[in-house]
Amino acid sequence: MNDEVMFARQDEMVALNTADDAVDAQKYLIFMAGHLKLGVVAEDVVEILHNQVITYLPMVPNYIRGIINMRGQMVPILDARARLGMEPQEEDSLVVVLNLGDVQLGILVDAVDQMLDIPKSNIHPLPANSTQMLVSGMCSLPDGSGTMMVLDCEQLMPNE
Amino acid sequence: MGSGNEILDMYIYETGTLLEQLETIVLEAEKADTFSQENVNEIFRIMHTIKGSSAMMEFDSLTTVAHRIEDMFFIIREGTMSVVPEEDRPALFDVVFQSIDFFRGEVDKVEAGEPLDKNIDSFMANINTLIAKIKGEEPPEPAPAGAASPAGKSASAPTAAPASVAPAAAHGGFSHGLRVNFDEGCGMESLRAFMLVTAVKDVVDEGNFTFTPEGVENDPSTSESIVENGFHLLFKTTGDRDSAIGVIKTVGSVQGYQPYDCAPPEEKPAAPAAAAPAVSAASPAAPAASPAPAASAASPAAAAPAAQQQHPKETLISVNLSKLDQLSAVVGEIVITESMVTSSPDLKGLALDAFSKSARQLRKLTDELQDVSMSLRMVPVSSVFQKMTRIVRDMTKKLNRPAKLTLIGENTEVDKTIVDSIGDPIMHMVRNSMDHGIEETQEERIAAGKDPVGEIILSARDTGSEVIIEIIDDGRGVNDQAVLAKAIRQGIASPDAEYSHKEILNFLLAPGFSTNTEVTEFSGRGVGMDVVKRSVEELGGTVSISSELGKGMTTTIRIPLTMAIMDAMEVSVGGSIFTIPINNILSTIKVSSSEVIHDSSSGEIIKCQGSFYPIVRAKELYQLQDGCTNIEDGVLIWLEAGDRSYCLFVDELLGQQQVVVKQLPAYVNSFNVKNYGINGCTLRSDGSISIILDVASLYTAARGM
Repeated sequence: MNDEVMFARQDEMVALNTADDAVDAQKYLIFMAGHLKLGVVAEDVVEILHNQVITYLPMVPNYIRGIINMRGQMVPILDARARLGMEPQEEDSLVVVLNLGDVQLGILVDAVDQMLDIPKSNIHPLPANSTQMLVSGMCSLPDGSGTMMVLDCEQLMPNE
Repeated sequence: MGSGNEILDMYIYETGTLLEQLETIVLEAEKADTFSQENVNEIFRIMHTIKGSSAMMEFDSLTTVAHRIEDMFFIIREGTMSVVPEEDRPALFDVVFQSIDFFRGEVDKVEAGEPLDKNIDSFMANINTLIAKIKGEEPPEPAPAGAASPAGKSASAPTAAPASVAPAAAHGGFSHGLRVNFDEGCGMESLRAFMLVTAVKDVVDEGNFTFTPEGVENDPSTSESIVENGFHLLFKTTGDRDSAIGVIKTVGSVQGYQPYDCAPPEEKPAAPAAAAPAVSAASPAAPAASPAPAASAASPAAAAPAAQQQHPKETLISVNLSKLDQLSAVVGEIVITESMVTSSPDLKGLALDAFSKSARQLRKLTDELQDVSMSLRMVPVSSVFQKMTRIVRDMTKKLNRPAKLTLIGENTEVDKTIVDSIGDPIMHMVRNSMDHGIEETQEERIAAGKDPVGEIILSARDTGSEVIIEIIDDGRGVNDQAVLAKAIRQGIASPDAEYSHKEILNFLLAPGFSTNTEVTEFSGRGVGMDVVKRSVEELGGTVSISSELGKGMTTTIRIPLTMAIMDAMEVSVGGSIFTIPINNILSTIKVSSSEVIHDSSSGEIIKCQGSFYPIVRAKELYQLQDGCTNIEDGVLIWLEAGDRSYCLFVDELLGQQQVVVKQLPAYVNSFNVKNYGINGCTLRSDGSISIILDVASLYTAARGM
């Protein structure tokens, strides 16, 4: 196991979060999955791991890559691309571990793009007839690098 | 969490322990049909403690009942068991059992934060009737007497007695008065007074004394007057009064008494008031007419500390279970971390003498730590078994089917969580045996050449890795035909198929199956033994039934000793590593492809020790990418879980390990992987994860494919 856990990143995030005064702006972590830029609320991010050994788990949907051992805790890993209906990731890259309610969930992504404050008013709903899964809103990035899709974390949870 | 809760927890724990102790005593005593003097003392002490702590917690109904039982045993203690006539003894035992149930019920309510049952009148009436009987009296009119409202806590300190009460009877030559005060807030003063009168009658001729208020026998409202003014006995002579004092000293809950002499009715009756301050029983005004030692004087409080001294010094402490859970979790982590450190790949190829030495020492200590932390959670199954004694007792009485329960190995220790959860399954099985197993009439048993008294054996033994609990009855046994017919009716079995004896017995464990069509008080409700099966399986155990028609039935429950840590075999299939509990492994076999038998549906069968078993290939079941396909390259593991036995084909055996069982994330479990034999996971010494297989459900999954 490679223990290069990116604590620094997390610390940075916390520091950035506290500095955040804008009331209706939220900090988003933007990562790449295929050609998509996806954003999650930075508060939900526990840490970002790379080079994790993912233990294959049989009998689960193909978008679940398996589980990892994060300091003695078992965390399931979702392949973001496979979950969104794209070609599954070929090589193991980054895992973004999210804490959603009581559940910890790792998302396998291509790369982490940036961290950004986005005012709530800038996030627009999807076009009414969009078939895009798991996305609750979209937002054009101020630096003109593209459009972020806000990942709907609640939908990541299995349907009971 | 305030300190109030801690006190409440303590109260619940303590009362529970005392009740358990009490139940054991009474069960034993019932067998002997008598209470030994030690038992009586012990019960007295227990009731006294319950009374005291309940009063402290302000659970009035509990206090009142405990007090009354205490009174009853006080009488028995004074007069030994011989005061209880033979024919009343069953009633005595019943009352004590009822009271145990009452306390349990109320304590449960306390624990659940529900309001307590205020209506204890009918129960109190039972006790009171019994007390009256013990005292050799005709029972007082049971209902009204028992209905005496607990007089509440309004009992005031004795105020100057109003003129109207005491002297009213000072006519007719009853000029020597005796004022008796009962313990404050003891409740049921009218009955206490009645008992007092009854006791006094033994020594003083009935015509020679009178008492006020009258009607204490069946007028509960007199209680109030007694609380306020005391209970007055009036005697013709001082001699009679002196002998009465001797008796009063021995009666429970008397706080004190003062003798006084009534002035003629014309004069102001100030005497009782003047005498009032002298409340102490040791008052010199009270000549000790009876030789009763001071220690057994009326106040039970004086007696209790003496009884407590007989108890061994407290060497046990109670610990919150969640702390122990935490401890075992941490110890589990330490064990893993220790092996992660000592077998770290960074150390490879280094000659580290001192390190290795320390590492060995560390390993030894962590092993020890693990053993100790596991032993902390181990408790004997006797608490569960004892409860069954009670159930069998109650059911023999209710169903009028004499049966005895034999306990074997009740000191076998298992994990606390297991003890907590096996109670219900065992109870279910014991009730089943009583209800359906043991023959309805003794004649039936005699005709079958059996002892007219049925027997249920409850045994526990520890095999090192699992605990085996057996519930054996010598009743009718299972009627295969009836079970099969029922199974077919319920659509569990197919009418065309042939079933073996073993398979038919398994229908009993199928969901919703119950041979008894009527719902009985004890084992009805239409829930079958599948509940037993399910709860045992939740503990990682298995249930199996064996039976011979006419000879009885045996239910065997096997549960792993502890669920947190187990011995397991690690195997590899392709790149994946699986862990199989050692308990399930019968043996491992290398076979050549010629030994494999193919059936029509491309299934594979292998012959092991004279029997045929199906082969399940892990690679195919789990659709793994890599792994051996040629049966000669891999190895077969012959597994058994419950009554399922089969061979699992894997690539390689990696070795035996003690593993700490970890639950899979809830997210993963939501995909029902447990139905596919994936039961948990464990961390290997290098930090990687191995999946723990559940042998039973794996086979079910493989057959379903």
